[in-house]
Amino acid sequence: MRPVLNGHVRPIVEFTGVTRLYGSRRALDEVHLSLRPGELAFLVGPSGAGKTTLLKLINREIRPSSGEVWVAGIAAHRIKPSRVAELRRKVGVVFQDYKLLPRLTAIENVAYGLQVGDLRISDEEARDRSLDALEAVGLGDRGDAYPHQLSGGQQQRVAIARAVVTQPSLLIADEPTGNLDVDTAWEIMDLFEDIAAWGTAVLVATHNVEIVTRLQRRVLTLVHGRLVRDQPAGQTGRMAWLASS
Amino acid sequence: MAGVIVKARFPRRRIVLTVATNLVRYLFGGAARSWARNAGGTAPALGSMTLLLVMAGLAGLTGFALHNLEQVEAGQASLLHVYLRDDTTGADILVLENRLAGDPRVASVTYVTKAEALQRAQRIPGLPQLADASDSNPFPASLDVQVKSIDDVAAIDGSVRYDLAVDPLYPTSYDRGAYQRIRAVLLGVAVAATAFLGLLGFVAVTVTMNSIKGAIHSRRDEITIMQLVGAPRWMVRGPFVVEGAITGVLAGSVAAAITFGLTWLGMSAAAGTFTQFAPGVTVTVAGIAAAAVVLTGLALGSGSSLISLRRHMET
Repeated sequence: MRPVLNGHVRPIVEFTGVTRLYGSRRALDEVHLSLRPGELAFLVGPSGAGKTTLLKLINREIRPSSGEVWVAGIAAHRIKPSRVAELRRKVGVVFQDYKLLPRLTAIENVAYGLQVGDLRISDEEARDRSLDALEAVGLGDRGDAYPHQLSGGQQQRVAIARAVVTQPSLLIADEPTGNLDVDTAWEIMDLFEDIAAWGTAVLVATHNVEIVTRLQRRVLTLVHGRLVRDQPAGQTGRMAWLASS
Repeated sequence: MAGVIVKARFPRRRIVLTVATNLVRYLFGGAARSWARNAGGTAPALGSMTLLLVMAGLAGLTGFALHNLEQVEAGQASLLHVYLRDDTTGADILVLENRLAGDPRVASVTYVTKAEALQRAQRIPGLPQLADASDSNPFPASLDVQVKSIDDVAAIDGSVRYDLAVDPLYPTSYDRGAYQRIRAVLLGVAVAATAFLGLLGFVAVTVTMNSIKGAIHSRRDEITIMQLVGAPRWMVRGPFVVEGAITGVLAGSVAAAITFGLTWLGMSAAAGTFTQFAPGVTVTVAGIAAAAVVLTGLALGSGSSLISLRRHMET
């Protein structure tokens, strides 16, 4: 664990000179960034810019070729495989394709995420906490529905409930609105804002220019693996360049 | 309730119960469900593993019987019959007997008279007719020398062959190389059986690995979710190992039943012949072999799964 620096809130995510190579190709090139608790940030850039690679490094699905990745006080760049699960319990993940188990109901999907991560959680506790999470995402009354009985937006809400039910320090989302219509996408973004307001850092990789522009949150721009722009919240402007990328 | 101390059970027992329930549900239940779903894909693995285990079980019992036969042969081969001249004196026999008894390589020396040799011959199939064909007793008296090590039989034979008391035409029962030939044949059989079982084992492991690869592929979403919600590695991999173990135990059980059944049938049908050809193989031995077959199936199934997981599952 990293020591807490006096007078500073320790970042939830900290990249220091991170490079990730795939063969001779640089997917990420000397990236420096940090994310504070409760911060909502967007990760933007053209396809192949390195957004997914960056998210995978945070969740220790891959290791950096060089540099340091710290997540919730854990050195993800040098963590032993046996401790990866510990890191992942601090990170909630949301995918574009939801990744819900079709044979389980909404509440079972959420409880599954809770119990396989911690076997000490009883059925009653898992059910209570899952119901709370579903209510927080506005699906308290659809707990017994199977994924195929839910709309895309509702399925994504269940996925978000599953990601936050463990009360992670960080939520990462890879194109979470990619399969949703505009109105539903806004609802999901509202949820992310709420989650950030509870104190969880939220990092969203997206191509949705309208959302990024209108929400006026921090924007991290990757191009060819380099972090070319880090715009603080409220200073994102119209970002017409993003639409053309 | 003020002032009353309420005694409550420490919640550890409840936690243990909860962990056990979740383990059974996600590890064993999940594996059983997945096995049932992929039963079609598992069938080739089950078949090849059953075949391997049946062969292994029967080969094991055959090997045990051959080992016992070899022991019997070794015991017989290290018993040297020193045939005595018909006209030798008791003193010469005594001198030879004492010399052999004093040899540290010799375990025991027994004098067998002509009459005892005849009695013994009459118990051997075919020989009574030969004995009856002659008016006199054609079997010589002998000194039966039990040599401690089969390797010393040749040296003992050399030391007695030209003794005054020994028959010069047919001095001893020593047959150079007979035992070695038996051993060579048994070794050849063992090598061939091991090679065949090795090949069959390779096929069974490969087929099982492929079936587990199929199971990993069909459950990739579940695996991804488990990995991303922070399930420990053993929790993610465990169901596949259990799944492989289920295949192994099922194949082992079928193979054990076949192995035991065939042995029992053999014993029931022709007990005398069976004992002669497979000495030492009893119902208990067949039961132990069947249990070993089940355990081998368990090890083979879970081991194949582990290899497959190492190859096909990302961390």
